[in-house]
Formats: sequence, C-alpha cells, structure tokens
Amino acid sequence: MSNNNPIDLRQDRREWLKTSAAIVGASLLPLPAITQEQPHAETASAKPVGKSSENNFPSRFFTPLQHALVEELSETIIPADDHSGGAKAAKVADFIDQLLGETYDDNQKALWREGLRLVDLMSRHYSGKPFLEARPEERVAVLKVLSDNDHMTDLPEVRFFIELKRLTVRGYYTSKIGIHDELEYKGNRILQEYVGCDDQGPANS
Amino acid sequence: MAEPQLDLSKTYDAIVVGSGAAGGMAAHVLTSHGMQVLLLEAGKKLPIEQELRSMEWPYDNAHRGYLPPESHSLTFNEYTIRNPPYGAGSEKAKHLHSYVGSSDYVKNIVVDEREHPFTGTNYAWVRARCLGGKTNIWGRLALRLSDYDFKAKSRDGFGEDWPISYGDIAPYYDKVDLHLGIMGVKENLPHLPDGIFQRPQKLNCAEVTLKQSLQKMGRVLTQYRAGVTSEGLKHNKYRSRCYGRGACERKGGCDIHAAFDSPTGLIYPAMDTGSLTLRTNAVVREVTVDPETGKASGVQFIDSQTMKDYAVHAKVVVLAASTLESARLLLLSKSRLYPKGLANSSGHVGHNFCEHLMGPGVTGRAKDLVAKPSTLDDGRPGGFYLTRFRNLSEKHPKFIRGYGFEGGSGCGMFPHGTDVHGFGASFKEEVRKNQGAYISMGAFGEVLARYENYVDIDPVVRDKWGIPALRFHYKFGDNEHRMAEDMKETSQEMFEAAGFEIVRVSSRVLTEGWSIHELGTARMGTDPKTSVLNQFQQSHDVKNLFVVDGSAFVNASCQNPTWTIMSLCWRSCDYLADEFRKGNL
Repeated sequence: MSNNNPIDLRQDRREWLKTSAAIVGASLLPLPAITQEQPHAETASAKPVGKSSENNFPSRFFTPLQHALVEELSETIIPADDHSGGAKAAKVADFIDQLLGETYDDNQKALWREGLRLVDLMSRHYSGKPFLEARPEERVAVLKVLSDNDHMTDLPEVRFFIELKRLTVRGYYTSKIGIHDELEYKGNRILQEYVGCDDQGPANS
Repeated sequence: MAEPQLDLSKTYDAIVVGSGAAGGMAAHVLTSHGMQVLLLEAGKKLPIEQELRSMEWPYDNAHRGYLPPESHSLTFNEYTIRNPPYGAGSEKAKHLHSYVGSSDYVKNIVVDEREHPFTGTNYAWVRARCLGGKTNIWGRLALRLSDYDFKAKSRDGFGEDWPISYGDIAPYYDKVDLHLGIMGVKENLPHLPDGIFQRPQKLNCAEVTLKQSLQKMGRVLTQYRAGVTSEGLKHNKYRSRCYGRGACERKGGCDIHAAFDSPTGLIYPAMDTGSLTLRTNAVVREVTVDPETGKASGVQFIDSQTMKDYAVHAKVVVLAASTLESARLLLLSKSRLYPKGLANSSGHVGHNFCEHLMGPGVTGRAKDLVAKPSTLDDGRPGGFYLTRFRNLSEKHPKFIRGYGFEGGSGCGMFPHGTDVHGFGASFKEEVRKNQGAYISMGAFGEVLARYENYVDIDPVVRDKWGIPALRFHYKFGDNEHRMAEDMKETSQEMFEAAGFEIVRVSSRVLTEGWSIHELGTARMGTDPKTSVLNQFQQSHDVKNLFVVDGSAFVNASCQNPTWTIMSLCWRSCDYLADEFRKGNL
C-alpha cells in the first residue's frame, strides 16, 4: 500500500468480507476462536475485582486468543519506542478486558467481538496472514486503512477502531508507564512552591 | 467534639436549611452572635477525605479514576437529545449522575438524578446533597462583583439595580477574604475589585505570553483568584495551606481543605462554639407558618433514610438550600395565608432566574513550548482569569453586559491532545512533545435575568420522598446567543494575537445550567411588588424569614458567584442577629 493513495475502505470491504467464507477452518488461526464469546472456563471461574487495575487478573471478557489480538492491536496504536514502553507493557489489554467484562453496555461488547473478527479478516486480505502473525508494518497498514477512513462511522470496523484508540489512550496514559515513563509527569507530590514561568518571562522570548 | 443532638421540643433561635456556601456562612455568623442554631442538611455527612483521595494515582484506582460500570454520568449529547427527567434511556445504569459526576471521586457527592427528577426545559442541574454541598467540588474561582453589576440597570436600562452598592458589601468581601483565604494579584480594576489576597500562584510561560499580548489590547489577564489558602489560616484548625500538590485539574475536591469548603471552613468551627446543632439526612419539604402571626414557625422535614416526618421549631427560618431548591421550598410552602407560596406576594419567586452561559472558547498551541521537557503545571487551583472587557467604557452594538474567560496551560496528569488524528509511533511522539504546549480558555457570560425565565412546581412528578418536583421554563435568549458569537470571535483573535497556533475554536453553547451558577429566583429589591427580599435578604412579606443563597441575586453579572453569596450572607446575618437581639423578628 502506498501512503499517497489511501485505500477506499467501502470498496475494499466487499472483497475481504467475501474471502471470509473461504478461510474458515483453513488457516493457522481459526476464526471461531476469535469470535468465541466466553473466556475459557478455567480463567472465567475466578473473577476477583482487582484492587489495582494493573494487576494481572484472569481474563473476563476476551478469550486468550482475543486477548493476544488486543495486546497487539493496542501496541500498534501506542508502540514501545526508545523513550518508553508501549501499550502491551502497560497491560492495556487487561484494562480493556476488565472494562468490557464489567460493562452493562451490550452494544459495546458486540462491537468489540465484531471488530476483532473484522480486523483479522482485513489482515488476511491485505497481508495473507492473521493479524497476530502479520509483521509490524503489515499491522500498521491494516489500522491505517481504518484511520484514513475514520469518518465512515457507519462501518463497524471503523467504530471499532475509534473505540480501540479511545480505550488504548485511556488505559495507557493512566498506567505507570504512561504517566511516569512516557510523559514524565512531575505533579501529584508536595512541593514548597509552584515554580511557574522563570522570571515570568514570555514563552516566545 | 461533643455534638449536640436535635431536640424536637426546643424552639431554636434559627433554623438554617442547607449546608453549602450560604448555609455554612449563616451557621458561622449566627452562632458567632451567640444564637442557638439548628442546621439541616438533606444529604449525608460523607467521609469526604475518603471520597476525594486527591493524590490517588489512576493506576491505584479500580477504574483508573473513572466511574464504575454501574454508574453513568450524562453527556452534553444526552442533555441535548433527551428531556428531563433524564432517567429514560439510561436504564442499564444503576446510578445516573449529572455531567459533573463523571469520576470515581465525586460520584457519591452529586445526587442520583433518578431520585431527584425535574421536568420542563432541558437543564444540566448539578446538585450535591451532602454536608457542604457543592463547595466540596467547586471550581474555587473567587471573584467580587462591582457597581458595574450592582448598578447595571442604571448603566444600560435592563432589569433592576440591586438594593445595595459595592460600598455596602465591600467590608464583607474583606471579612470573607480574611476568614477563608484567597489567592490573587491586585489589578486595580473598577469592574473587578481587588481583595485581601494571600500569596498568589504563578502563571506558566504560555499564560505569561498571553497576558503580555493582551496588555497591548488593554485587556487584563490575572492569576486565578482562588478561594484557597496559600499561607494558612491561624484561626482554623481544620484546614491546611495549599502545598501545590495533587492534580488540581482533576475533577474533585481538596482533601486537605486548602480549597474552601463549607464544613471545614465554616461548619466545624461553628460547632466548636457549642451553639450549633447539625442534623443531616433532613429533607425539608415545607416552611411552616403560625396562622396567628403570619410568621414562619419552623420547618417540616423527612428523614431521607427512615422516611419519617419531623416538625422542628425556630424563631427565625433561614433558607440556604441553593437558588433552585430554596425557590422550590417557598413555592411548596403554601397555606391559607400564603396561597401563592411563602414570601411570594410579588409573584416573583422562581422568576428572574439567571446564570452564566458557557461553551465558546479556544484551544491553541504555543509553538515554542513544543518538545520541551515536561513541566509541573498542575497542583495549582487554576490557571488564569481574563477579566471582562465588553460594555465597560464603550457600548457593544450587538449585546449588553459582559463575559470573562477561565483558562490554563501546561502539562497535566492526563495529556491534552490525544484526540489528534492517527496512531502508532508518530501519534505517541506527538502527544508527548505537545503535552506542555497547549493553552485553552472558555468563556463565562452573563445571562440576563428575565421574568419569563422561571421555575414552578410540577403538578404530577415527585421525588423519592414524595415532594413535588421543580418544572423548568428556562432558555437562553437573543442577547446570550449574540454574546456567545462574540466570545468565539474574541477568543480566537486574542490567541492569534498572542502568536498561538489555533487548534480548535468552539462556538457550541453548552446546555443551560452547565456553569452551575444558577441565581436570582427570589431577588432582592426595594419594591415589595417586584422583589421577594429586601437588601438584607429578608422576606418583604414574612419578616422572620431570610433567603441567603444565590436566589437573592438581582442579576448574574459575569463573575463567579460563590464569594458574593457568602459576603451577602454575612452582611444579612449580622443584620438578622441585630434585629433578633432587639426583638424585631
């Protein structure tokens, strides 16, 4: 894909929706696993409400495969770089899993299930591989199709992308990594006096 | 402290209804004059420090500081497309809150909308039923009004003048400044009088840039005048000075009480006098009247938990339940003597309802601050206040009265600018590099006090306690919309003049009520035919009845009302105590 020629999502989706039938059961990452609604029994049985949302608690909403997919999707939204860790290290997928596990909003749950399925289909269409097996640049390419077309909010995969970005941003910038490592936040501690602008001089001087 | 319990057989010197800014002040002043006071609060006494947790990190909170899943707070869109009462359409949420109740730290402070329905026109009515009311979470901007406000009719012909002038209230503003603490910088402006300020906070670099640019336009940006003590208060053991800590921009209150709140600032010290009895969970439903004398004899209240009904008695009744709740109480207190409601011979109770319009504003970026190291910009009670500049020395062709802006800049705990397009490495870097460079401000404008804007009692709908609900007949008018257009234009011009790159200009007017500055439903005046209260907030009709909250305002001005509410209340309660001593009530 060329950056100069954004893909028309509305046109392309006919193609990748068509291919979905052909690949069911055929590949490395079977679709039923992605669309399965309930977490595995052994992880679903214990549902403690974590004191801290950064605790590593058992999955409540995502299947292990969906959880892995959300980890990679969120990392594609906010990746690790030489400055700080990314969404995966900040356990954003756990945050989203908890939120979806607790929410009373069935539409939101359905959107995530459907969105994960569609993004995986898109990946198979554009790179020939499930999202989890795609290379980082192939993953970026898939999300770029959605980001470039993010005005098409009638499409579920676009609404999913907007929601994925919203919750990734929320989960990441409220995590230890986001607040302390990435943004190097200086506040929330006692200080004798607020420093302000040096000499009250202007910013543009 | 040994708290005196409610004595139903006793006739108190005064009953005060409501424990927010006005009720707390009334309790403080009346007990300081030696009166025996019963303070009734409809809500609970919350373990407020446990609610506010001002220094909790998001990652130590079960929902990162956001609401738990069983709660929902109304959005601008919901206020726009739905009609009051706002429960319908949010059936899945066990608790439904106003827009303010969108964080884990305030969810128990603001009311559940379903228990407190109201009807009529759309209104974002923010209510906090708990000891201290909205002072637990207020924005803290503590401004004085001036004769540009008190004598506004004399200047432009609209509405009524107040029955007082600045000289009458100035000594009481001084008392409030000294008693509660306020940070600020003297500017010597006739339309925004200076106070007795403690050490101010400092502006940060983008704010200084804007200030200097505005000076060339003859406009004044000053440090946020915050009702926060920066140097401490020797006479108050319940409050700490501000340590510039915490994330003050986060919605919520101040758990060390450097920011004024009514319980620590006024009520607990009043209880220490031994003259104050506090009864929480007391939902007042009517002011009772002695049919012989026509005077107020006390109130009826329902215990919010047991639903039991109580009658309590006093020589004076002081309403401080908030602008809309006090009007509701007066209208509910009908009797053979007062068929239109208490203190309502003028028919003005509930009318002349006014407030501040919000919404228009601007966000910009100071290019020189991009990619600078992270700076400490929060831990301040606020950023800046840009004072009114319209209709002072010249007359604007399109609207009367004025507006000011509240704003701020710099790094926060949660970054600005995460709504930029895109994702991935470039998105992450852009958020990081720009986090300290954003500056924004939003306007607060005077909504004219018009008789046609009013509340009355809904004939059908009742609240959880069976008390008839308020019905709103309230809309912004042409003057407000023309002013909003000007707010948008001037905010953009001022940011451009300061050299900021414009990120966003908003012309969207927020739902009526958004400013939480509702005022004027029982206005003061010299003429009993066109006003409800005299200059001492005493009913023209019932001389032992006072209404000391924002309902007494004659107009809204454009300056935030809390400091004026408390100063007026102090003045009125001094008068009340004097009259009481003389046996005139």
